[in-house]
Amino acid sequence: MSLRDSLMYHLNVSLLGHGALRIQRIKAQMTMNRQGWWHHEHLNPPPVTSAWLKELISRHYLKGRWITGTQKVAWVTSGAPIEFLKALGYYLIYPENHGAVCGIRRVGDEKCKVAEHAGWSRDICSYARTDIGTILSGKTPVGKLPKPDLLVCCTNICQTVLYWYQVLAQQFKVPLILIDTPFLYSKAPEHALDFVEKQIQYAIETAEKVAGVSMEPKRLRHVTELSHDAVDLWNRIMHTGRARPAPFLAFDEFIHMAPIVEMRGDQATVDYYRALLAELEARIKNGTGALKEEKKRVLWDNLPIWFVVRKFGNLLASRGVALVASTYTNAWGELADLIDPHHPIESMAKCYIHPILNRGTGQKLQTMKTMIEDYEVDGVLLHSDRSCKPYSIGQMDQQSILLKQLGIPALLLEADHNDSRVLSWEQSENRLQAFFEVLGV
Amino acid sequence: MSDPLNIPSRKEVLSDYQSSGQDFVAVYPIHYHRALLRAHDLMPVELWGPSQYSTTSADAHLQAYTCSVVRCGLSFALDGGLEKARAIIVPHSCDSLQGLGSVFLDFIQPKTPVLTLYVPRGRREMDVEFFARELMALDKSLAKITGKRPSEKMLHSFIDNEQKADSAMEAVLNNRIRIPMSNRQFYELMRTRQYVAAEKFEKLARDTLESMQQDNRTDCSHKLVISGLVPEPAELLSVMDDAGLTVVWDDTACIGRRIYPETDDADPYVRMARSILGAPPDSALGSSVEARLAHLLDLTRNKQAQGVVFWSVKFCEPELFYLPQLSRGLELAGIRTLLLEVDISEPASAQVQTRLEAFAESLT
Ligand code: SF4
Ligand code: SF4
Repeated sequence: MSLRDSLMYHLNVSLLGHGALRIQRIKAQMTMNRQGWWHHEHLNPPPVTSAWLKELISRHYLKGRWITGTQKVAWVTSGAPIEFLKALGYYLIYPENHGAVCGIRRVGDEKCKVAEHAGWSRDICSYARTDIGTILSGKTPVGKLPKPDLLVCCTNICQTVLYWYQVLAQQFKVPLILIDTPFLYSKAPEHALDFVEKQIQYAIETAEKVAGVSMEPKRLRHVTELSHDAVDLWNRIMHTGRARPAPFLAFDEFIHMAPIVEMRGDQATVDYYRALLAELEARIKNGTGALKEEKKRVLWDNLPIWFVVRKFGNLLASRGVALVASTYTNAWGELADLIDPHHPIESMAKCYIHPILNRGTGQKLQTMKTMIEDYEVDGVLLHSDRSCKPYSIGQMDQQSILLKQLGIPALLLEADHNDSRVLSWEQSENRLQAFFEVLGV
Repeated sequence: MSDPLNIPSRKEVLSDYQSSGQDFVAVYPIHYHRALLRAHDLMPVELWGPSQYSTTSADAHLQAYTCSVVRCGLSFALDGGLEKARAIIVPHSCDSLQGLGSVFLDFIQPKTPVLTLYVPRGRREMDVEFFARELMALDKSLAKITGKRPSEKMLHSFIDNEQKADSAMEAVLNNRIRIPMSNRQFYELMRTRQYVAAEKFEKLARDTLESMQQDNRTDCSHKLVISGLVPEPAELLSVMDDAGLTVVWDDTACIGRRIYPETDDADPYVRMARSILGAPPDSALGSSVEARLAHLLDLTRNKQAQGVVFWSVKFCEPELFYLPQLSRGLELAGIRTLLLEVDISEPASAQVQTRLEAFAESLT
């Protein structure tokens, strides 16, 4: 670490940056606490804690701007075990999360086009295209992405990430750690669990070498505890959607999930989720829903359509339809019980082989059925995401079973999570209107 | 150029199996070990499509952005094409085949048992160990169907046969320039490996080698390497013939990337696993761009090829991710590249044919 880098980091991040962001948050919270600040026909004001979220995310990316030379940087896939990287002091970048930021800020297409211009097909995942476009253009809405010293790719969400990370490895010429999680068509076989555990051990050794430090078991346990607590709190936050009216919608979860994905294992994440949960519980007590009038409740399947999240939310709200849960955000909470800080590596193996995307499509249907009951849902919206085959293949059968066997209205919407050129809003709106009619709103 | 070998078609071979009471297993792409099936007295018949097969039946289960290999393959199964098979094997080769395996098991649930096989994406010793155990698990599932328990000796002997067939295939490819066959005929021969017994393929390959010329053919104006998934629709091979392009090496997942190296581990499962994971660089095995590029550069240099044609299936992410960096690396080394993107459920478009012809001209 050079003295200059360290000074610049502390000046810009620890001193000026943190201070400015904290002031911004306090100001935002003061506004949100003021009577009459909120004007929306169908939605109640967002939780005041939202201002804290903005601070957390901004701090994370601000840190990334100045991190080079002060801390090792790893780029990781969203489902990867990261506790060991945190314990070794890595700063983490999640290209998928960054992709979502680009989607929300509506610059995803622009990045995709840069990648396409360089030869990458429009038929590859739009997160990957957004990321490749960001690297090639050097432009990002978060200021700057630090270059990685290490890449960590876990195939528990898809195989696509491995091809994507091979592109990154070729581009950055840095080591790529692969954590290959055999897909579970049914119960996890013993040899698959052993395999994942061995790979995590091996990943730790490689990450130690790159970082030039050794793992302290105590530190790993502590990070795993924080990770466990954050996942548990996230689960409880999502469960608040079971209340009637639901104080928090899946649209809110899409935004508030950022820390559970990219800051799992941080004390700040635990603190933030604890505060958010308390605020939501208070709303349940007061009977304050996210919608001013909740008429029907719906479940979402697959990734959000980032570039129209708000537009979509407003459309549903205008008809009194509350999107109370999503299989996507649920994926970051459902495995909370598998994380055991006293056996971090074995439990990591068990936990990280089991995410929804690493299990059969029948299992996903089962998860939906459970959520339909738990959240007392009236209908299901399945986003058929052109970019995400592992999530989308199987949805046609799932939809037909929901409709025919369970009698639950289910709509399959063709779109893409980050490439707006795939979505025809008029067509989707028409289909949604028809869906609302079926729901009776 | 005539067909002196009498290359058996897939249809003929399947009808032979059926008339002789030989059991067979339908296997989807890409990697698995044939010896394991043979030891259970099951003939593997691979399903790379079928090409130009209507995808209508699959449309109720798979979105249109699923690749045509999977859509044709599912349609064929739904239309009853696999009813006579003793089992269906779906190796986990990509997200789409993963989806296919899962849709089969969870929703379609055909009468024919569906078995899956997870192929690891690394080549570390732990990958070999895992894969050996995965093959062992497949062996157990097959035993439930066939009632057989192949001995280690038997497994080794079938592995030996497969190794001989693979080295015969390699020899044929190595001598391609002296074999008086059109690209189309040549591929018909190579693709018999997907449905005939190893012994039969080895004989076909040896006969081909015996019939080859002493000297290199003089009618090959331009030499190329084909990379990609599967050379379908096959008419494009005839377009290559007409354009004076000769394929001098194959780097497709269905042929060249499955010439597995010889291995000699005492444990037959480890031996099979090490052999498959020792295959040439392949997207479905998680190879790095660097390894794939080095391999293609070696091939083009050794075979004095002027160009590489990437014959890709639309929506095939495993291949599409690699192409820009591979093309750039090859072009920098003076090798021309062409990307052909096809939907194997349809005949080759006139546009693709024109691009191929233009590519041939550009090599002149
Ligand atoms: S294919 Fe799906 S799971 Fe994989 S990176 Fe893209 S969006 Fe994520
Ligand atoms: S063509 Fe590509 S996407 Fe389709 S099955 Fe083969 S490897 Fe998978």
